[in-house]
Amino acid sequence: MVNLTIDDKKVTVPKDATIYDAAKSAGIRIPILCHDKKLHPFGGCRMCLVEVEQMKGRLIPACTTPVTEGMIVKTTTPEIINARKLVLELLLLKHPVDCPVCDAAGDCDLQNLTYEYKVNTNQFTDEKFNHKIDYENPLIERDMNRCIHCGKCARICDEIVSFGAYTFINRGIEAKMGTEFDGPLNCEFCGSCVSVCPVGALVSRPFKFKARWWSLNKVKSVCSYCGTGCQLTLGVKGNKVLTTVYDENQGFHNGQLCTRGRFGYQFVNSDKRLSTPLVRKNGRLEPATWDEALAAVAEGLKSAGSDAVAGLVSPRLTNEELYLARKLFKDVLGSNNLDHSAGYAHSALSHGAMESLGFAASPSTVTDIQKSDLLLVVKTDAYETHPVLGFEINLGVKRKGVDLRVISDKKGKLSRLPKAKTYVYKPGNEILLVNALAKVIVDNNLTDPSAMGVAGLEEYNKSLEGYSPAQAAEVCGIAAEEIIGLATDYAKADKALILLPLGLGYPGHDKALAQALINLALVAGKIGKEGSGVLIMGEKNNSQGAVDMGVYPAGNGKGATDIIASCAAGATKALYVVGENPVVSYPNRKKVADALDKVGFLVVQDLFLTETAEKAHVVLPACSFAEKDGTFTSVGRMVQRVRKAIKPIGASRSDFDILNELSSRLGGASFADSSQVFVEIAREVAGYNGLTYDKLGDEGALVPVAVKGRFVPVAASPVKAEAGKYALVTGSALYHCGTMSRFGQGPMHVCPEGYAEFSREDAAVLKIQDNDLVKLTSAGAEINLKAKVNMRMPKGVVFAPYHFGEESINNITDGSPVTWVAVSK
Amino acid sequence: MSNAPAEELQTQEIDLTAANQVIDKFLTLPGNLMPVLQGIQEEYGYVPKPTIDLVAERLNVYPSQIYGVLTFYAQFHLKPRGKFIIRVCVGTACHVQGAERIVETFFDKLHIGHAETTPDLRFTFEKVACLGACGMAPLAMVNDDTFGKMTVQKVEEIVADYGQRPMK
Ligand code: SF4
Ligand code: SF4
Ligand code: SF4
Ligand code: FES
Ligand code: FES
Repeated sequence: MVNLTIDDKKVTVPKDATIYDAAKSAGIRIPILCHDKKLHPFGGCRMCLVEVEQMKGRLIPACTTPVTEGMIVKTTTPEIINARKLVLELLLLKHPVDCPVCDAAGDCDLQNLTYEYKVNTNQFTDEKFNHKIDYENPLIERDMNRCIHCGKCARICDEIVSFGAYTFINRGIEAKMGTEFDGPLNCEFCGSCVSVCPVGALVSRPFKFKARWWSLNKVKSVCSYCGTGCQLTLGVKGNKVLTTVYDENQGFHNGQLCTRGRFGYQFVNSDKRLSTPLVRKNGRLEPATWDEALAAVAEGLKSAGSDAVAGLVSPRLTNEELYLARKLFKDVLGSNNLDHSAGYAHSALSHGAMESLGFAASPSTVTDIQKSDLLLVVKTDAYETHPVLGFEINLGVKRKGVDLRVISDKKGKLSRLPKAKTYVYKPGNEILLVNALAKVIVDNNLTDPSAMGVAGLEEYNKSLEGYSPAQAAEVCGIAAEEIIGLATDYAKADKALILLPLGLGYPGHDKALAQALINLALVAGKIGKEGSGVLIMGEKNNSQGAVDMGVYPAGNGKGATDIIASCAAGATKALYVVGENPVVSYPNRKKVADALDKVGFLVVQDLFLTETAEKAHVVLPACSFAEKDGTFTSVGRMVQRVRKAIKPIGASRSDFDILNELSSRLGGASFADSSQVFVEIAREVAGYNGLTYDKLGDEGALVPVAVKGRFVPVAASPVKAEAGKYALVTGSALYHCGTMSRFGQGPMHVCPEGYAEFSREDAAVLKIQDNDLVKLTSAGAEINLKAKVNMRMPKGVVFAPYHFGEESINNITDGSPVTWVAVSK
Repeated sequence: MSNAPAEELQTQEIDLTAANQVIDKFLTLPGNLMPVLQGIQEEYGYVPKPTIDLVAERLNVYPSQIYGVLTFYAQFHLKPRGKFIIRVCVGTACHVQGAERIVETFFDKLHIGHAETTPDLRFTFEKVACLGACGMAPLAMVNDDTFGKMTVQKVEEIVADYGQRPMK
């Protein structure tokens, strides 16, 4: 620790602190323009100049100068004030000062400091900048005339996002913040640069001219896309969510969001939202009153009888709603036929972790990522499923020297990180590879002493027979030495964390893969230490909550696959679908669609008239997360508060409201509001005990777990390639999540439709180029997608994302990890 | 004045073999970006866009940063350059001796402006600061040949002379 004096105040701070940090910790504000706590110091703007007794004669930038023992600092002398005024005058010289039409007004550091320092005259004159404004994309407007060259956009895009869109270009007075060839911005559109830009040089176009910043009502909530659980602040006015407001103090991610969170909120106020209940009459969906619709639903669900009623309930709902749904099925309808996410996208947690660890959650949490020594990302690039966790990985690798290893069937963005190593295996063979890693550990006496006390070790060791690195090398296409090297590095790393992203797009052996990985972590003694363990990353905003609330079949209940099959067979007579869109997101579209056409009574509750809702007998218009109070539980078990920002749109009602009323119509319990349900959750659900909304506060609370690990041997046989066919693997596009992001402007700009990615080698053989239409055929069904050709795909493998309704990939997939397809032009 | 053909040339197929060889040579050298870019410029006479993407991919650097470097150092050229680089000094001494007229005459004769290249890639024209031979002002250079005491007449002679020389 270092002691110093700032403005006559004694301050003690860690020795790596800067003067700026020290002042801040003492509650003394030093103005800044180019500094950002998340970024490497830059020291370019000189706004933070202070005086240091020991360095008299010149003013010192507080943001880059480290503290030293006994330092005496003054932060506001007349000389300092003059120096800061001069900085501002020089910036204002070329700046257009068009605050009346600038969206940053009110939230602009330059404007606020100019006001604070009363800079109402300028001793200099000069011409204004005359840069062309970049209006080429619908999300970010770049007006470099307003730029103050703080470099924050370039730094965040490099340091945290790892995209690197910007750099200072040209020299001298021509110098400006620009892109490659000074062209229009063409990037991930995460909006991080907009968030940190201190002025209005980078602004959000969807928000342009929508409202003055100070007139917005700012409501803290949680992103409703992926499972990362990013906190966000909604900017609300006139019952509309107009933007997301950046708050650098929110969440583990310091307010950072991805394109879905930042630019994907438009589904809330979309004019495609359902505005009234619909009931099918004479074969057509006709508007109906809530009373009529709910009476029909209550009657339809009840008359089907407990064996013949089933539910598919989306993990996008709040915990309170999921809890109510579970209660409705179990206690009121007497049915255990309840599931979500096609039954498989949660099985890694609900069944895998449950059997292997004794609880249906990850033993690790998101803050372990940066504390780890070695990260093992498995099956797919965690960046495409959970972008902000991708930022955490970027930071871990670049700042903390975390050793990143990716084992996947293709390369991803993370593969490009400095020193990252990617092991590309032949699709579908991931479990075999993981078993081989474990085999190396066991055979080389790297088994951690802690594993000796874990149940099932002996049997597990035996089960690894047949997974030697040589055998695995043959099947996976990764050299045996590489497998041995990876296993050894993993075992020897002091702290090693496995990341397993999940999702509807990654069907196959979720449960088995999770168990194989948990075995690996147990044998290497990696579970139960900070920065170590396994992080199973549920796909949706409340995937973990849905598992915690028990929205999956218990006892003799049917899971999603059986529910669909029994709809087709006529055994399930009434199906209640809440927020899921099986027609597009479950494997085997035709089978699902036929089954839903057959079921006697189909209720769909959703924001939109989805492909599934079109088949319903009754459609109930539900509310978005912005219209709700409640909680979501994120990846790594963080329970966080979702807050109502606007009133329900049109005649829509929250899922809470609808489920609650159905329950009471059917003679079940009824709750006053979501907080009352949470009281019951806190009583009934393990890990949630003792939680209250008050205790969650802004930070949220971590659900505790107690690991009781055991080895569960998992067998894997090599995936057989089909001659002349390509291995199709599916998944998430970086910019989308589920099927809801199709109603978000950001995701739809960056990725408006499905596509198929090919390696350069395959593209050359098939004579296809970017944007050519290609036909993928499997088992008699075909779809046509635009091609993308790149370096990340290995030869013989095709990737396609699943989110889109048109030419949806589930026309040709059936839930196996790999689909063998013929490709033609 | 338009430079369209020269720009079109940039989007044409570029044979990346030479660029790949340059990258191979420096691949393991720390701080290899500058030598790689210099090597590429030596091979192609300028740094074609496809080579920037190639360098970005192979050295794992952002294309934007490479562009930043290329535009920061005057030594790099992003457009194809003519076989004959005409430089006219507009430093103080030359200015006083009427350099502007010389410049205008070149513009007129070549139909290109400052830092532009003729469509046939024969000439590139540049205004430059003091060339250090103020005694001979106004001064012009064509590649390494120096021409002192420039006149409108001499401009015509230079254009005619270099206009006939072989391009290979
Ligand atoms: S939006 Fe994101 S990816 Fe695009 S330039 Fe800004 S920070 Fe970089
Ligand atoms: S665009 Fe904004 S963030 Fe980027 S350098 Fe300019 S002022 Fe700074
Ligand atoms: S989609 Fe996921 S990563 Fe992106 S902002 Fe939302 S919670 Fe964060
Ligand atoms: S804030 Fe310190 S130099 Fe910019
Ligand atoms: S001013 Fe032209 S050579 Fe010096």
